[in-house]
Amino acid sequence: MAAGEQRGREYLERYKIPELLHNLSALLLYHRPERPREFLIHALERVKFAKLTDVEYPYLVDESNLDAMFEMLDTTSQGYITLVQYKGALKSLGLSTQDLPYEEDATITLEIFKKEVKKLLQESWAIYQP
Amino acid sequence: MDATARPLRVPPEMGIYAEKHELFQLLQNMLEGLLIHKPDEPIQYMISHLKQDNDHVPRICILGPPASGKTTIATWLCKQLNTPRITQEKIPNALWASLIQERLSNVDCIKQGWILEGFPENRDQAWMLQSAGITPRHVVVLYAPDTVLIERNLGKRIDPSTKEVYHTTFDWPSDPLVQQRLVEAEGISEQETAKHLLEYHRNFPRVFQIYQQILKSINADQPCADVFSQVLTYIQTWCRSAAPFTPRILFCGPPGSGKSLQAALIAQKYNIVNICCGQLLKEAVADKTKLGELIKPYFDSGWPVPDNIVLKLLADRLNRLDCMTDGWVLHGFPKDLDQAEQMERAGIIPNRIFFLNLPSESVMERLAQRMIDPVTGERYHAMYKPAPLPDVQARLKQNPKDTEENIRICLETYYRHAGDLAEFYEDAFYINADQDPYVVFEYIESCIVKPSTV
Repeated sequence: MAAGEQRGREYLERYKIPELLHNLSALLLYHRPERPREFLIHALERVKFAKLTDVEYPYLVDESNLDAMFEMLDTTSQGYITLVQYKGALKSLGLSTQDLPYEEDATITLEIFKKEVKKLLQESWAIYQP
Repeated sequence: MDATARPLRVPPEMGIYAEKHELFQLLQNMLEGLLIHKPDEPIQYMISHLKQDNDHVPRICILGPPASGKTTIATWLCKQLNTPRITQEKIPNALWASLIQERLSNVDCIKQGWILEGFPENRDQAWMLQSAGITPRHVVVLYAPDTVLIERNLGKRIDPSTKEVYHTTFDWPSDPLVQQRLVEAEGISEQETAKHLLEYHRNFPRVFQIYQQILKSINADQPCADVFSQVLTYIQTWCRSAAPFTPRILFCGPPGSGKSLQAALIAQKYNIVNICCGQLLKEAVADKTKLGELIKPYFDSGWPVPDNIVLKLLADRLNRLDCMTDGWVLHGFPKDLDQAEQMERAGIIPNRIFFLNLPSESVMERLAQRMIDPVTGERYHAMYKPAPLPDVQARLKQNPKDTEENIRICLETYYRHAGDLAEFYEDAFYINADQDPYVVFEYIESCIVKPSTV
């Protein structure tokens, strides 16, 4: 690989640019604002400030979405979902399924589900340096 | 099966939105900027880049041998596009790149773009520009035979106060005061021009290679105005972008104009779904689906099927996965303004619309003699495409609906509504369908491939 290309790829890797663009495009396509540029500028400024202050990152899913998702997964209303289902849910949200602190046969309740997903979402945005 | 593990289906609104706002180019330009400058604070850089909003400003390089008219063309372009123009003077290579970089980071260049005249002259300068992250979007090269150039250069005159370039034969100023002021430009003797030309020919092929994709050569051995109009046309065409594009094509036209033929050709070549409205209805009846049962009585009695049933059938078909991912080409619907409006409300929005125009005599001629071979399904025409073998000829059949009376009624209905449809679909393409089918096909292809007018 040429030196220039190598440096480019390293840069992308270091600042996690592909993931950032991915998240931004997801936000754009979901909200479909009339003025995409302004929307993107706002979203980026929120990310910039969220690191320094406690303003929330621009998330795509909010609490009610998580409730609905859990209900869809927990078809028999037992109050919990299996680890396999949990991993599937994380994958469809675009979050990483590695290093989960749970056993193979662990059961995930709604509270734990919401808490964990929120934490992972927060982490996924926090890796972007302003 | 787990509800969240189904294959992902992208809602059509997202695709339409992304196409309308050219999201792919927006994000691609931002990524380009990031990769070239590699800022330490990417988020801040992205914010400033988005605020600049300069994805569409011109970034042009005009290159060519001496006396090809670069200065004249560059000056005209600069006036036309309201873009700052940057020319060269005799300064060594290394200094040049940083000077240009500084100049181009001025606010006026960022907001309005730039026209670089006569630079880069050789491969080293071009590489220096590239490594500084300065990439033109269009490169125009003016060429002309050497003899013409040597002769032209002899007539070059400069107005010392305005620095404008004139010529004794081609571009003589009308103001007598200016005429008196003109002095001969330096370095225009035959030997000097020949020397410059040699150097140009030596360096030029390398530069050509570097900018090959965005380069266009224009013949400078023509009247200035012609050269200028060609350059302007080129600059205003955008390079084909790599954005994902699902064709959603609509063909409108009188019966016999070739809609089903062109639709079949396009569908076959580009692997998209061909939907003929009439066919869709017949298939529904034959398959005895729920909607088919509703349609059958209309078919039997001969009344036209009501719009809402047709629309439901169409929406169902077009929202299926194969149409969403591969694209579709539709013909036979809508036939009037009402249907067009309902279609748009149902979320079926074509991105390329074609009207195939055909005079009524040609319609009559084409339809009265068209026949179909019931065994192979091939369509023939008594005059334009006769059947190859006599036994094929014997079994050809004509569509019973193709009687003269019927054709006339269909034509009248079409013309009554065509005006409204044309108004509704403002950016449609109009084609003369009275030509060879492959000529029409090529034109349709070119319209589909080029980006829709910005």
